[in-house]
Amino acid sequence: MNAIHLFLSEHLAPDALNALLLLGVILFGGGWVGRTFQKLKIPQVVGYIGLGVLLGKTGLGLIDGSTMTSLQPFSTFALGLIGFMIGGELKAKTIKKYGRQFITILLMESIGAFLVVSLLVGFAAWLFFQDIAFAIALGLLMGSISSATAPAATTDVLWENKTKGPLTTIILGIVAMDDAVALLLFALSSSIAGALIGGGNSSLGASLLDLLWEIGGAIALGCGAGFGLKRIVRGFLEDDRILVFSIGAILLLIGLAQYLGVDIILAAMTMGFTLSNFAPRRSKTTFSLVERFTPPVFVLFFVLVGAKLDVGQLGTVSLVLAALYLFGRIGGKAAGAMLGATLSKAPASVRRYLPFCLLSQAGVAIGLSIVAGQNFPGPLGDTIVLILTATTFVVQLMGPPLVKHAVSKAGEVGLNITEEDLIRRSQASDIADENIPQIKEEDTLESILNVFAQRDNLYYPVVDKQGNLTGILPIEKLKDAFVATDIAPFLVAHDIMEPSEFHCQYNTPATEVKELFKKSGIASLPMTNEKGQVTGMIEYRRMQQHVARKLAQLKNKATALEDA
Amino acid sequence: MELANHIKVERCTALKSATKTEALHELLSLLENEIKPPEFDGVAKEIFYREQIMSTGIGQGIGIPHVRYPGIQEPILIVGIHPEGIADYASLDDEPVCLIFLILVGADRHKEYLRLLSLLVSKLKTPGIRQRLHAAAQEENAAQTIAKILKENDS
Repeated sequence: MNAIHLFLSEHLAPDALNALLLLGVILFGGGWVGRTFQKLKIPQVVGYIGLGVLLGKTGLGLIDGSTMTSLQPFSTFALGLIGFMIGGELKAKTIKKYGRQFITILLMESIGAFLVVSLLVGFAAWLFFQDIAFAIALGLLMGSISSATAPAATTDVLWENKTKGPLTTIILGIVAMDDAVALLLFALSSSIAGALIGGGNSSLGASLLDLLWEIGGAIALGCGAGFGLKRIVRGFLEDDRILVFSIGAILLLIGLAQYLGVDIILAAMTMGFTLSNFAPRRSKTTFSLVERFTPPVFVLFFVLVGAKLDVGQLGTVSLVLAALYLFGRIGGKAAGAMLGATLSKAPASVRRYLPFCLLSQAGVAIGLSIVAGQNFPGPLGDTIVLILTATTFVVQLMGPPLVKHAVSKAGEVGLNITEEDLIRRSQASDIADENIPQIKEEDTLESILNVFAQRDNLYYPVVDKQGNLTGILPIEKLKDAFVATDIAPFLVAHDIMEPSEFHCQYNTPATEVKELFKKSGIASLPMTNEKGQVTGMIEYRRMQQHVARKLAQLKNKATALEDA
Repeated sequence: MELANHIKVERCTALKSATKTEALHELLSLLENEIKPPEFDGVAKEIFYREQIMSTGIGQGIGIPHVRYPGIQEPILIVGIHPEGIADYASLDDEPVCLIFLILVGADRHKEYLRLLSLLVSKLKTPGIRQRLHAAAQEENAAQTIAKILKENDS
């Protein structure tokens, strides 16, 4: 008995949940949860964070502090990838076009949140603690942190829903850049708070210099890395090699940014921006390869975000302050965003729906709260960390569904799809010509010619008396028959048709259809029902035309939204 | 391609059958040594299927059953001679069919198939040829005579 007990405790002890097993649980569970949430039409990122909460400090405690520390590089990597992908979507042309709107809205929504939160939290803190210096310090610090918006969860919703249009463009620009504003406001607030209650950074000048280094250094580093990667991928054609170099470059950049103490997201974003704007065509492959690589890293990142949150320790005062912070931030950002959009004459959809998209907070906000915790040890620092943890939990779960609501209402969902996406979403019936005339086996050349004369299809299905597919009649075979005019009166469709080796059904995925065209070298594919009767025909040439037309329609729709 | 290259005396035969179905089976039996089952059964099935779609009796006592079938290497032409004529052939002009030209070509040889059919039909349209062929069908050594007529002056 003892031996069995020993054996079990040795092999099934909780610490046997090694790092790889944990990664497996996170990715497998994350994949499953993401799929389930997608089916429920809730952004998958909510599922990932929920799973993190369940596995982390608040829930089962499977992911503890030390695990989190050991998995931290993955989170940093994810942030780098997010920055890189956002940078890839920002085009110089767009920035020129939206530049004024970007800056106005960015400043308004950041400062709006800063002012409202500072006032509300500061006033409440004064009521609770009756200490004006403490209240002002807390208000300013919380206000500055409130201006940050996390790009990760927001952009994940945008990418998941393949959005495109003015709202998407503005969101991408703002969520990526308002961290810089948050850092600036935090540096200012931190100095004032330090002067008021002691602690904090030595002087405003030093804080600003740090900030300049953090932002300027990130931009310089990102530019350099972007040009470097551009030179490297220019020489390669193989996807595998481009992927290895791109991921390598992103990792190098993140590592260097960490080493130099500059902003990682901004550096990665600048790199993506440089690459996509200075090598627009060649970098398309790079971005689509990196995009395919991102899902597991993102799942891990969001699960860890959830795991990090510990909402068990909240007291009444912290709860009230957290609620004020939350409402103040939402209200301040909404008012600022609407005012900024109105002043800069942004499209109506931006004015109406942008406020819903600025809720998410994560890395930077938590990071700043931790910095505040270190710089202002004691009640001030602790309160900030606690409140930020609680509110991050709420906004991370609330933010993504609201972003989805906003982009859906703005009509931007599904407009940013590539040919591959479109084919992935389609089935045979979407691309088939269901009105194609059917040629009967006994039809004579004369009646076949009539069919060809009336339509511009190059391939027609040939059917027996029951309507079952027996072959395909391509135009070349018809041409051959004209050479032999002597026999024309004696020939029927059956004599000149080709056997049909392949066929599909209405629900055959379009990807399979495309694959079949590619592999078998056929130019047309009949569509049949379960009984084998012909219900349509897919011509490769027409499938391509259909896809091109559909993509053009989506592009026009996105352009129309800009003018709305 | 020349029609003469595909005419072989041993593939010209006097038919004993009285019906279309029997006659086609009789013609196909000449190929039993060349085409092995299951291809043989497939070819037979295809021949009868084609007749079901539309009769190959083109009128004036002539029938040209023809199919493409996978695995047939060289085009095959078999001539069946029936002096009295097969009454149930369901010819275009409802006349009995005295001469049957059975053509078999590989499934992927569409152009050769049409070319062979065309050569045969234009030969049959040559003035006097049909009369000579019908007259030859009544002779005792019809096979040799018919093969000779089909081979002559093919250019």
